[in-house]
Formats: sequence, structure tokens, C-alpha cells
Amino acid sequence: MSWRRTLAITARLLAQFRHDHRTLAILFAAPLVILGIFALLLGGGGDLPGVGVVNADAGPLGSAIVRQLEASEFVDARIVDTTKAEEQLTSGELAAYVVLPTDLTASVMHGAALDPEIHLRGTEPSASAATLRSVQQAMVAAASELAALGGLTVPELAPVVSYRYGGADLDSLDLLGGPFVGLLVFFIVYLVTSVSFLRERSLGTLERLMASPLRRTEIVVGYSLGFSVVALLQAAEILLFSLWILDLYNAGNVLLIFLVEALLVLGAVNLGIFLSTFARSEFQAVQFIPVVISPQILLSGVIVPVSAEPSWLQVVSNVMPLTYAVDALRAIMLEGANLASDVILRDVAVLAGFTVLMVVAAAATLRRRVA
Amino acid sequence: MTDAGTAFAVDVTDARKRFGAIQALDGITLRVPRGQVYGLLGPNGSGKTTLIRTILGLVDGVEGEVTLLGTRMPDREVLARIGYMTQAAALYGDLTAEENVRFFARIHGGGDVDAALRFVELEDRRSAVVATLSGGMRTRLSLACALVHQPEVLLLDEPTVGVDPQLRVQLWNGFRAMAAGGTTIIISSHVMDEAERCDRLGLIRAGRLLAEGSAADLLALAGADRLENAFLTLAEGSS
Repeated sequence: MSWRRTLAITARLLAQFRHDHRTLAILFAAPLVILGIFALLLGGGGDLPGVGVVNADAGPLGSAIVRQLEASEFVDARIVDTTKAEEQLTSGELAAYVVLPTDLTASVMHGAALDPEIHLRGTEPSASAATLRSVQQAMVAAASELAALGGLTVPELAPVVSYRYGGADLDSLDLLGGPFVGLLVFFIVYLVTSVSFLRERSLGTLERLMASPLRRTEIVVGYSLGFSVVALLQAAEILLFSLWILDLYNAGNVLLIFLVEALLVLGAVNLGIFLSTFARSEFQAVQFIPVVISPQILLSGVIVPVSAEPSWLQVVSNVMPLTYAVDALRAIMLEGANLASDVILRDVAVLAGFTVLMVVAAAATLRRRVA
Repeated sequence: MTDAGTAFAVDVTDARKRFGAIQALDGITLRVPRGQVYGLLGPNGSGKTTLIRTILGLVDGVEGEVTLLGTRMPDREVLARIGYMTQAAALYGDLTAEENVRFFARIHGGGDVDAALRFVELEDRRSAVVATLSGGMRTRLSLACALVHQPEVLLLDEPTVGVDPQLRVQLWNGFRAMAAGGTTIIISSHVMDEAERCDRLGLIRAGRLLAEGSAADLLALAGADRLENAFLTLAEGSS
């Protein structure tokens, strides 16, 4: 083995890096950005899950539990009445509510188990877990407090847990699966479209198209339709696989799920065409993934709910189209939301708007770097 | 304005275009009558490709005036009557020869796919995927894509680069036949021996038209015996 020849390869490679500022930027900046987002997501600092407490207890135990819950650092507890609790659980304002009945203290004094009702929303596993943990801790602390004062032995804990959506048997796959279907479709469609549109540029065929009577919008829309046919078949395949083979929980209309996916596909196709304008090679189109796609995936609410992000980061999440797709897919599949829901209408409108914006942007930038 | 009364297929007046520090077109005026084979001669980087793209209306921010078949450029509709063959054989590698030609026919509003394949002698390879064709075949197929819609003006950017002598003769016979049928052809080249096959030549250097005329005119003008020498003499005289 000749080191002279070997090092020639090494030196050439380093020289190439020196000329490729974009690759250098992505190598050294993108990981920090992505890790930074991760840290912000998992480091907390956003809104705690809201837990309502309906305290009807005539004795001191109820108030003690409320005090403990209000002091909890895992949930944001507040006193509510039953009607309000129901409303807010449906709207998503509350992740759960706890009902402490009139005879709570009395029955515990008679040796019964401590069995308040806990109503979980059930769509956000981390919020459910935080609620259950906090309520358990609050009950133990409150009961111990009263036991120390005498007249009460620490009771057995037997909360009655019910779920508004889904149920106790929903696993992580059920909760993450729906939005993940959206992410997959978005990611793969973007990748395929941007690379193949870039080939149209780099092989010179785009130049020929520009020298024909074709209008720019005709090229972009023609491309969109072609890719969309394939991408929609792919989306349908992924969806059916998820529902039938993986047995993903779905309380909603399959066609509505498909509509959301279809809008996401159209957006991704045109995003791919648009971004291919700014790449000179297939390699560079792939390089957009850590810059454009990864932050979207992280911030879309799939891993950590948008509401749990620091508030300034929520602003970023809220301008990303993927966030609305994730929101819609979750609402449809877990809550059975339909087109009568304002949330779904908003999400669908945002996704449709994004698609139109990308078609316009792609057509507007098509001329660049044709030669 | 209709082009019925216009004698010139291509009419460029004082075209100027700058790319950063490079003056790609430096006041070019060029008129090509219908049915003529016009050769743009010049070294690499002299502005031939920019001129052809300017004629097609593909270059933004060009000063001056370009008229193609009587239509002020840029104009999309007139491009249906124009054929353009890019320098590299720009084709869809995963489609067959026939599918490529058919596609370009369709985006130009129709054409005779069989005739185009016959013209470039690729009828027997019509079902072959482009990626399996030789370099020469791809060049011919690229030409078929440029002329399938029977354009009135054909712009060919160095169509014979990397083409073997036999095929080059074949292609030129084809170009002459088309010109005889009334097609205007503008062809760029830096191969001087091709120049003699053109009706008229324009020598381009550094974005300027140094001289124009038939091969014989240019030889006489430079007092040279070969076009290569004529080109060198005229280039020196201009700088």
C-alpha cells in the first residue's frame, strides 16, 4: 500500500470540502440545530398538562389533595366544576380531571379505599402519565398528612381511571402511528420529487422544456399531478398497512385521513420542486433534509406536543405545515374528529394553503439556473 | 404583428448581455432569412450558446431586440414552431427512444414521431431505452426530438461535437434536406470544416460578431486559404 497515493485521496477530499461551503455548514451546523431543538423539546419549559379538580369532599382530605396537586411540578392543577371540566377535556384544554366525591374523607375514615375518579383525555401519553403520577403522589401525601394528625390510617389507593378517547389499551404505536404515517409520506415524497426534478435540471431536459410552448405553471402542475398519482398510491398503501396489518387505533373516517395525507403529499411534491431550485446536485437536494425536513419533524408535535414546547418555539411549530397534518391526523384517528370540527377545518385549510403557496413558489423560481 | 411579410426568420438587433464580469453578448446584430443554414462559428466561451438561448427568449435581462418568425421575444407561443437541440443530448434516460420523441412532439402541439425516427435512422431502435443507446444514437435521438414537430426554425447548439465523421456527414445531409424544404437552421460549431456546408457564416468572439458572409466571402475578406486562418486573421484584426 502506497501512503503517497492513499494520502492523495485524503488531501483531495479535504480540498473538496474546502470548496463546498454548504456541505461544511450542514456537517457542522445542522447537528447543533437539531440537537438544540431536541434539548428544547425534552427540556420542558412549556405548558404543563392541565388537570382539573372537582372537589366536592365535605371533609379535609379533598382540600389536602387539591393543595398537593396545586403544588405539583408535573401538572397545572386548577379547581373546576363538572360541566367546565367536561368541556375543557373535550376541547383539549385539560389533559385530565379528577373528581373528589362528597363522602371522600368519610369513606376513607371508615376504612374504604381512596378511590376518586380520574378522567383522562387519553390522546397524549406523556400528559396521561404525568397526571396519574401526580394524582397518586398527591393522594399519598394528603393521606399521610392527615394520618400524622391522627384519626386516619393511610388508605389503600384505588383510583377509577377512565379515558375520553381511545382507552387504557392504546399503546405508543396507536398514539404515534397516525402522525408518523403523515411524516413518512411527507419525507419520502419530498425526497423523490426533489431529486427527480433536479435530474430534469441537471440533464438539460428542463432547458428543452423552457424552449417549448410549455408555461411554467404547466410544468409544475404537470409534475405535481404525476408525482401525486404515485405518492397518493403510496399514501394509501401506508395507511391501509397501518390500519389493517399494524392494527393502528382509528376512531375516525379513513377517507378523511386520506384527504389530510393527500394534501400533505401535494405540499411535499411542490416543496420538493421549489427547493430543487436551490440545489445544484442530487447531493445538495438530499442535504436539505437535515435543514428543512428534520426540524419540521421534531417540531410537528409527534414526539412532544406543541403545547409542551417553550412558547417562542411554539410560534415556529405553528408556521410549519407538518404541525397541522399531525394535529389533524391525531384528532381524526384518536378523537374521531370529522369535517364538522373547527380544528380539522383549520388544519385542512392550512395544508391546502401551503400546497397552493408551494405551487406558486415552484413556478416562480423555475427559471433559475436552467442553464 | 404577423410574420407573413417578414423575410427574416431570426432578427437580432444589438443584443447585449452581461454575466457578472463577463460580457457574453456585446452588441450582436444578426439577420437570418428563411430557409437559410446559418453557421455560428467561434471558440468555446465566445457567446454562441448565449446567443442561441437569447434567440429562444431563455436569457433574462438581455438588452436589444430579438424577433423570431416575426414575433418579438420572449414569447412562448412562437416556440411551438421552433426546434432546439441543446449541446448535450438532453433526453430522458429511462424512457425509450420513441417515448422521448413522442413527449417532445406532445409539448409542441403534435408531430410525426415515425418520420422523425426515420429521419435519424433510429426506427429499429425505437423501443430501446435511451440509457442503452450509444453516444451517437443519443445525439441522433436528441435531433429527432428537436425536429419531430416540423419546426420552421431549428436551433442546433454544437450538434456534431463528439460525433464520428460518418454520422456527421449523415446529419449534415439531413440538415441540408430540411433547409431545402424551407426550414431555417442556425447551427453553432467550432469545427471549421463544417462551416463550408453553411449558406452563411457568422464569426463570433467575446460576444461580438467579427465578420459575416459565405465561406468564400470570409476567405476573401481575410485573404486566407483556409477558414481556420481566416478566423485567426479576423480575430486579430478586431482586437
